[in-house]
Amino acid sequence: MVIKMTEQHEIIHVDHVNLWYGDSMALRDVTMGMPDRQVTALIGPSGCGKSTLLRCLNRMNDLVEQCRMQGVVNFHSKNIYASDVDPVEIRRKIGMVFQRPNPFPKSIYENVSYGPRVHGVKDRKQLDTIVEKTLKRAALWDEVKDRLHDSAMGLSGGQQQRLCIARTLAVEPEVILMDEPCSALDPIATAKIESLIEELKTEYCVVIVTHNMQQASRVSDYTGFMYLGELVEFGTTRQIFETPHETLTENYITGRFG
Amino acid sequence: MADKFHDEIEFLRRDVVNMARFGRNMLNDSMNALQLQDLTMALEVKSRKLTLQEQHDSLEDRIFTMIALYQPVARDLRTLVCSLLIVQASERIGRYGKDIANATRHLADTDTTGNFISIPHMSELVVGMIDDAILAYEHEDLNTIKNMSKRDDVVDSLRTSIFRECLTYMMEDPRTITRCTHYVMISRFLERSGDHACKMAEKIHYMVIGERIEIK
Repeated sequence: MVIKMTEQHEIIHVDHVNLWYGDSMALRDVTMGMPDRQVTALIGPSGCGKSTLLRCLNRMNDLVEQCRMQGVVNFHSKNIYASDVDPVEIRRKIGMVFQRPNPFPKSIYENVSYGPRVHGVKDRKQLDTIVEKTLKRAALWDEVKDRLHDSAMGLSGGQQQRLCIARTLAVEPEVILMDEPCSALDPIATAKIESLIEELKTEYCVVIVTHNMQQASRVSDYTGFMYLGELVEFGTTRQIFETPHETLTENYITGRFG
Repeated sequence: MADKFHDEIEFLRRDVVNMARFGRNMLNDSMNALQLQDLTMALEVKSRKLTLQEQHDSLEDRIFTMIALYQPVARDLRTLVCSLLIVQASERIGRYGKDIANATRHLADTDTTGNFISIPHMSELVVGMIDDAILAYEHEDLNTIKNMSKRDDVVDSLRTSIFRECLTYMMEDPRTITRCTHYVMISRFLERSGDHACKMAEKIHYMVIGERIEIK
């Protein structure tokens, strides 16, 4: 197994993580780092554990019954699974965007301001500023500025997904996890999300799970290939897609299995 | 989809090998025509230029289409990149063959070719290098191209010695200038063809191993 660690500063470090759903093992001894202000992509066939690994990074698996985990996930060198860590606070700092856009059935404004309000921001003006700033960062402001109080459900799929990204950004996270963020979107909406990811990485660490290998090669700086719960190979995206060291990686990305 | 693509790569590789041999044969046959002073054969080599060009254009087009349609990665991508280089190098080699065939016209009716034993010898070495590069590509086997660098050095020094030899003749007898200039040119064409064989070897190495090397 060739796992070349990144030279960049790692904001998250996964250390010898094993995970079981009941009796079945979903992650096997995964060790890797997610560098700050870079995009890390996780690729692999369905059921290889890439979404499970992503969900480990902000303790989303806590909510899954019969899910058992071993190992350490360090965020800024502190184990997020330590007993004194508040999972809600972790999920604020490490936000997540899901496969299907899932805005709240409320207005666009309320979708974005919901998080900050829960975290205690009451001042209307301050909320207005946060909403404008985050919608701009999510490249959605120009499209919705005249209808902030319309229902978010009236937006197109791509706009809804960018709204979900804005909702994540509103609570000022440091890491953004994306689980197949474009698989329910058309090519144009996908291109918009991809250029958004490119912009986001100047300020955040982005980890993206994708089935679409071209997408991984387009947007990411580092790529990890997973198979049957193991991290088979991790390296710069260029190396993985030009000269993978492992035959398994080679066969997968060239479409010889999967 | 993936299977269809991999079948297409195999067909492409077969056709690239054929084209590379076509270019190699143009060079080889033009040298035979030169040695035999056979004008008919030289003209026949010249006439192959059109086919060479057509093969080059159609293969190049196929490779571009495959890249655009399938966005290949890893070994598939490296194979296509290498194939493209081989197609281009083979076209150059074939054209040098045509140039030598052209020169044969000016060198006919002179009986001094035999004096230049180094030119046929040089041609043998270069054609051998090209053959081995094609074999390496065909079988994805780097063994035949291990010593390319050394072989290229020999070819280079032959070119230098042919140049010196020609200078001597030209100084002795100005009537040999036309003929000797052609010999100098021919040795240059052969030397360039050897360089193309080295370039092919570099790319074949990249295709098989994934690592860039430079053959000096």
